[in-house]
Amino acid sequence: MAAAISIDGLTKKYIDVWQKMEVTAVNNLHLQVEEGEIFGFLGRNGAGKTTTIKMLLGLIFPTAGDATLLGKPMGDNNVKQDLAYLPEETYFYDSMTGWDLMDYYGRLFRIPEPERSRRVKICLEKVQLQPEAWKRNIRGYSKGMRQRIGIAQALINDPKLLFLDEPTSGLDPIAHSELRDIVASLKDEGKTVFLSSHQLADVELICSRVAIIHRGKLLTTGTIRDLISGERKEVTVTSQALQNGLYEKIHSIVPGAQRQGNELVRFLSDDDDTISAVIDIVRGAKGKVLSIVPQKRTLEDVFVETVRKEEGEL
Amino acid sequence: MIPFAIAQQTVREALRRRVMWIFLVSGVFLIAMGPVFGFLSPKDSQTVLRSLGLAAILLAGLFITIVTCIYLLPVEIERRTIYTVLSKPVQRYQFILGKFMGGFAVVFINIVAMGIVFLAMLWLQEKRLPPEMFIGVVMTFFQMLLLAALTIFFSTFATPVVNFFLSFGIFLVGNMSSVTDSLTSNNNPLVSNAGKVIHYLLPNFGNFNIQNSIIHPTIEIKNPNVFLFQNMIYAIVYSLVLLTLAVLIFDRREV
Ligand SMILES: Nc1ncnc2c1ncn2[C@@H]1O[C@H](COP(=O)(O)OP(=O)(O)OP(=O)(O)O)[C@@H](O)[C@H]1O
Ligand SMILES: [Mg+2]
Repeated sequence: MAAAISIDGLTKKYIDVWQKMEVTAVNNLHLQVEEGEIFGFLGRNGAGKTTTIKMLLGLIFPTAGDATLLGKPMGDNNVKQDLAYLPEETYFYDSMTGWDLMDYYGRLFRIPEPERSRRVKICLEKVQLQPEAWKRNIRGYSKGMRQRIGIAQALINDPKLLFLDEPTSGLDPIAHSELRDIVASLKDEGKTVFLSSHQLADVELICSRVAIIHRGKLLTTGTIRDLISGERKEVTVTSQALQNGLYEKIHSIVPGAQRQGNELVRFLSDDDDTISAVIDIVRGAKGKVLSIVPQKRTLEDVFVETVRKEEGEL
Repeated sequence: MIPFAIAQQTVREALRRRVMWIFLVSGVFLIAMGPVFGFLSPKDSQTVLRSLGLAAILLAGLFITIVTCIYLLPVEIERRTIYTVLSKPVQRYQFILGKFMGGFAVVFINIVAMGIVFLAMLWLQEKRLPPEMFIGVVMTFFQMLLLAALTIFFSTFATPVVNFFLSFGIFLVGNMSSVTDSLTSNNNPLVSNAGKVIHYLLPNFGNFNIQNSIIHPTIEIKNPNVFLFQNMIYAIVYSLVLLTLAVLIFDRREV
């Protein structure tokens, strides 16, 4: 499959003239997003996610580096015909009705009538905005309704590639799961989604691959399965011989091993050889293995570990 | 088609601004007061209505143009609606053009509204429509075209407050062409050169005022058609230059 997004060394430095400060919001980013996948773009607040998306859409200009979208150089006006963007926290033109707003965006894509009205209706239905609200001013919309109209406007041109910047933030649980499912359904329609989100449970559920960036630098990228694999096991052993130097032996193999009472030791490891080695010495000391429980890692674990590790090294 | 869609949306949004209506109502009110002031000095009642009417249209038009055009871009950027527009197949020049057309359509509507009231008042008082008054309104219209382009040009890089003082200031200086003209022949070369830059570079808003010939009947416009035509061309060409510069700046601007 061809790359829907190919980012080659994108860098963005913001220069604060007054404080003579330079912020590197995005730092030499390399990334490939394949066609037809939902790609999760993760990072802490201020990591550079929005900055990256804005560069790709030609709203701001990179200090260095380049990228292609759907095989064409970024910022190319023709390629925008197939793009969609849901910015974070947009207010839209709130004196317009939902329908008129959609109609306006349809006109910007030069979609003629009656096709345009048809598209508007399809999109509003798809995001499940109540029809009573279609002819009402956006000013009176709730946060959830605004988010729905935001996604609807992103669908007006039946795009091939969508950039969604936190589409599910600040929603009630039901709206949240509905919108998440709508985003997930885009994949079935063959669309590519570049999803920036802090909702890691959602990302784990609907994305195939993710990238984690931190202070503008790419920390890791890969399929979710690969990232959460290397499953850890929690091992609990018991032996009368713990006092006689056995605990120290175990501790030298697994520094994280913890003693619980006089006869129990518990540790976590993702390395089968280490686990076997410990089991061998426990058995040698006439001890018993009480349990080996696989511990499933979540994307959140991976995220926290990856970012913590990077922050620790700074 | 895209600039038209943007213009139409801009007009809808601008017509909701209360401040515009305040200026329009004030302008209309002043014009309507013309005959009343005329009664106070029956000898000059014709001059009073004529100069008051044109002045009211100019003044209200000036404020309407500035308050409308000053915010067209900043509001889009502040509310981030511009992201949703520029990420669609909309070129930045189309955006500027659409905003300008929309902003100017609002100014046009206002000048026409005030112009109709003005001509109606003239009809009531003089029982005829003096062509030079019609030309006066049309001149104000072209003057506002130029001002709208100037304001939009500034809005590509200046904040609304800065823009207000820049546009207003240049409008005032540009209206004093006789002063800036006299500077060009100053004995001090520094002053005369600065005067030349100001006189020839800044838009000459003063050219559009036919009030001078009303208040000082000795100043006569020799050929009204040439006067009209020259000023129209001047306003259009100057506006095009300003819009081109606006696009060049906006093309490089991060939003
Ligand atoms: N216009 C700007 N001028 C100066 N610095 C900026 C500008 N825009 C963003 N930054 C800085 O760039 C960095 C990245 O910001 P960005 O908005 O891309 O983060 P983000 O990953 O989207 O964060 P969040 O999850 O909070 O939305 C931040 O340190 C931010 O302060
Ligand atoms: Mg962001």
